[in-house]
Amino acid sequence: MPQTELLETALEEARAAGYIGRNVLGSGFDVDVLLHRGAGAYICGEETALLTSLEGYRGEPRLKPPFPAVKGLYGKPTVVNNVETLATLPHIVRNGPDWFAAMGTPTGKGTRVWCMSGHVNRPGNYELEMGTPIRELIYEHGGGIWKGRSLKAFQPGGASMMVLLPEHLDVGLDFDAIAKAGSMAGAGAMMVMDETTCIVDVARRLVKFFEHESCGKCTPCREGTYWMANLFDRIEFGEGKPGDPDLLLDMGYNIDGRSFCPLGDASTWFPRSVIKYFRDEFEQHIVEKACPFRGEREAVA
Amino acid sequence: MAVVTDQVTLTVDGQSVTVAKGTLILDAAKKLGIEIPIFCSHPKMEPVAVCRMCLVEVEKMPKLQPACAVYVMDGMVVRTRTEQVQRYQNGVLEFLLANHPLDCPICDKGGECPLQDQTYTYGPGASRYDFPKKHFDKAVPLSDKILLDRERCVLCWRCTRFSAEISGERELALIQRGKDTIIGTFNDQPARSEYQGNWTEICPVGALTSRQYRFISRPWDLDRTATICPGCSMGCNVHADARHNRLGRFQARENLAVDDGWLCDFGRYSFPSFQREGIERPRVRRDGRLEEVSYEEAMAAAAQSLRRAGPATAGWASPAATNEELFLFQRLLREVLATPHLDHGRGRGEAATALEPDDAALPIADLERCDHVLLLGGQAVIDAAPVLHLRLFKSERKGVRVHRVDDARAALEAVPAEAQAVGIVSSLGRKPEVDSLQGKLARKVKGSVRRLLVPDGPNGRGATDLGFGPGRGPGYASLDGKAGRARPDWEAAGVRALYLFEASPLHDFQASGEEREWIQRLETVVLQRPRPSPLDDLAHVILPGRAFVEKAGTVTNMEGRVQRIRPAIDAAVVRDDWKILQGVAQALGADWRYRDPDEVFADLSRAVPAYRADRIGERALWSERA
Ligand code: SF4
Ligand code: SF4
Ligand code: FES
Repeated sequence: MPQTELLETALEEARAAGYIGRNVLGSGFDVDVLLHRGAGAYICGEETALLTSLEGYRGEPRLKPPFPAVKGLYGKPTVVNNVETLATLPHIVRNGPDWFAAMGTPTGKGTRVWCMSGHVNRPGNYELEMGTPIRELIYEHGGGIWKGRSLKAFQPGGASMMVLLPEHLDVGLDFDAIAKAGSMAGAGAMMVMDETTCIVDVARRLVKFFEHESCGKCTPCREGTYWMANLFDRIEFGEGKPGDPDLLLDMGYNIDGRSFCPLGDASTWFPRSVIKYFRDEFEQHIVEKACPFRGEREAVA
Repeated sequence: MAVVTDQVTLTVDGQSVTVAKGTLILDAAKKLGIEIPIFCSHPKMEPVAVCRMCLVEVEKMPKLQPACAVYVMDGMVVRTRTEQVQRYQNGVLEFLLANHPLDCPICDKGGECPLQDQTYTYGPGASRYDFPKKHFDKAVPLSDKILLDRERCVLCWRCTRFSAEISGERELALIQRGKDTIIGTFNDQPARSEYQGNWTEICPVGALTSRQYRFISRPWDLDRTATICPGCSMGCNVHADARHNRLGRFQARENLAVDDGWLCDFGRYSFPSFQREGIERPRVRRDGRLEEVSYEEAMAAAAQSLRRAGPATAGWASPAATNEELFLFQRLLREVLATPHLDHGRGRGEAATALEPDDAALPIADLERCDHVLLLGGQAVIDAAPVLHLRLFKSERKGVRVHRVDDARAALEAVPAEAQAVGIVSSLGRKPEVDSLQGKLARKVKGSVRRLLVPDGPNGRGATDLGFGPGRGPGYASLDGKAGRARPDWEAAGVRALYLFEASPLHDFQASGEEREWIQRLETVVLQRPRPSPLDDLAHVILPGRAFVEKAGTVTNMEGRVQRIRPAIDAAVVRDDWKILQGVAQALGADWRYRDPDEVFADLSRAVPAYRADRIGERALWSERA
């Protein structure tokens, strides 16, 4: 059943049970829940772009302040929460805050759902206590790297987060710990890459994703992601120039912290981190005028 | 105890400045003479902070901040020229130029382009972008007035915001997203706005250009003249830009009290009709044929015929003539020819309604300070003075209730008794209704009720103030029972000679067929006009004069503001109209010795003390507001 139908069904049940709608459980309090389907634009995950899009306009972030809590949907104070928060709430309400706080680490309490994809034997969603070592997620729950290969790198928090290496496997799944390791837990989307992966190509695809998802509102993001995508294309396809990695780093300087919203800023994080850890692979692409992983990957496929 | 003030003190580049709360960093810096480069920011539009050109360092804030969108705070420390800021300015300009076509050599904006200027001042010398550029459509017709070059567009949102926030028409929008974003109209429909020319002025690049000005000139080759739009009684201030003595364009010349920096397309694009094609000489009809003669001969011939008709002469002047000309012309008619038949109404259908000073009691800018404005006549009033719409829309955005009504009863009902300041805006033709509505409203509401009527032509207001009508003399002086007849009644009044004075192709005499027949039968028709006219066939004497854009003088807009017009093109041997009028008067024996329009104004000012030479640019001071 598509998720929206599930949600609609749940809402109908809640309405029938009197949990939402007029006069909730005889309390005299009215509240209803309306399900609105987005059309999949990444930018609409930014809270103000989400509101703009809900109002029927192009999905574009708004100037802050005013923050949504002051002036949000249709200019009214609005709380924007993500699904993760809302899904956690019933359990805390049911079991109490102490139960929740007893789990996890002092800086990251409770549990979190990690959405693991990539070169693992069992990709999927895993709810784990905060602080669980990354190694446990990948090797126990995920069943380890597929096809008997070894781990090259992983991205712990979603499309924008900085790359981490096998040396970081013992870092706990916790906001502070991951930040200390040089990345971010972000949305909890863990992407695992095996040894045959061309990290330049991964960065290329991610940059192209941001280029495609940029709303085009501000100059650094609109022009910068397009330029970065061009640079990655040419490096990956054997036409890179020796100065390209440094040009990419400089472009990161001009985009990150200069863009209107975090989409632009974040488009630079993964590529910059892979230049830091894998500069030799960039140089190999440029000197050999080809992707060193292409042949191998085709053999795999 | 701390004193609570609305003032905030901050430092910008080490200099301290105190400004009102709610000031943007950009404006605080400007106050210190520190320029922060911008593209998207516009003083009349809401900040959007999209171009990212204006980013500066603000102490305690980790990221660079957009000076165009961040409001000052007490104790804020701003730095606009640090190494970080300058390195980033290079970067953002490199981004903006990466896919810019750099067709400056063939771009109309070249030489007055903020993108060019800022690239020189803040940009990198060279680009590191070495890919083929993105291509977009060029010269896309948005309408019959405007072309859009999508490659040149830097997506600053100024045109779309104008369309949403200034004109309220929302005709322009951003289409697609990311690197594919373009500006366009809904479904590529032709834009219909009456304010499109403004888009070309606010566009910080050469993306939006006027068809009329395309490839006409470089800005540095233009001779710029500060004058007034000939379009209507709004009196918008313009720069008339001419090249080699040909008008190339009108540009807005911001006057916050009048036009707020905008023009309408009717006015802006009216200039080609003023282009003089060749020089004409005066002509006199002899044996049924018009023969070229000197001005002296023509003026003598006119005088001779007019003397014969004397009080049976009627004089018509265009509501585009200057105050100086109208004053002289009325003297010529009243004092020299002793005729009371004066009029400036166009068309013969209805008698021109006479204005009163109170019809200008509501200044244009005060519309923003009313709580209710009644636009009696709706769009018809706007059509007569299109820039009024922008002021009304601005007022509405500030919370003024604007009622667009066509019926005085509905108007009366629309305004609640608690209203503090009510404005009525209508056209001159509806004066009787407006007068009675104002009376009723004054009894109904607590606050003040003022009115603003839109007369015809750029100087319809001046024509009435100076007594260029049958009923009142200069300054509304009573004529002591010697009132004349209005244009529709001239035939019945036994008029035998007609002196027609045209001043603008936009506001000419417009004779009906029936009227032409009557004119044909007249013994004398003197025609003073700037360009060949359909009345030439009927004239006995033709005196070529100058058009609105070729002369110096003053005109008075709908709110009574007396403004200077200046010659933007040189009409060479074509004589100034005030000189012709003086010449004819002299030929009739008058002892006039004006040396320039300023001397005429000095005399005019004695007859109409509300008009004062030291207050040109201001509204005329009638007794009730002195
Ligand atoms: S067309 Fe001009 S004004 Fe409009 S967004 Fe582009 S650059 Fe800005
Ligand atoms: S409103 Fe009148 S004066 Fe102003 S630009 Fe238009 S025609 Fe000219
Ligand atoms: S001028 Fe400030 S972001 Fe454009």
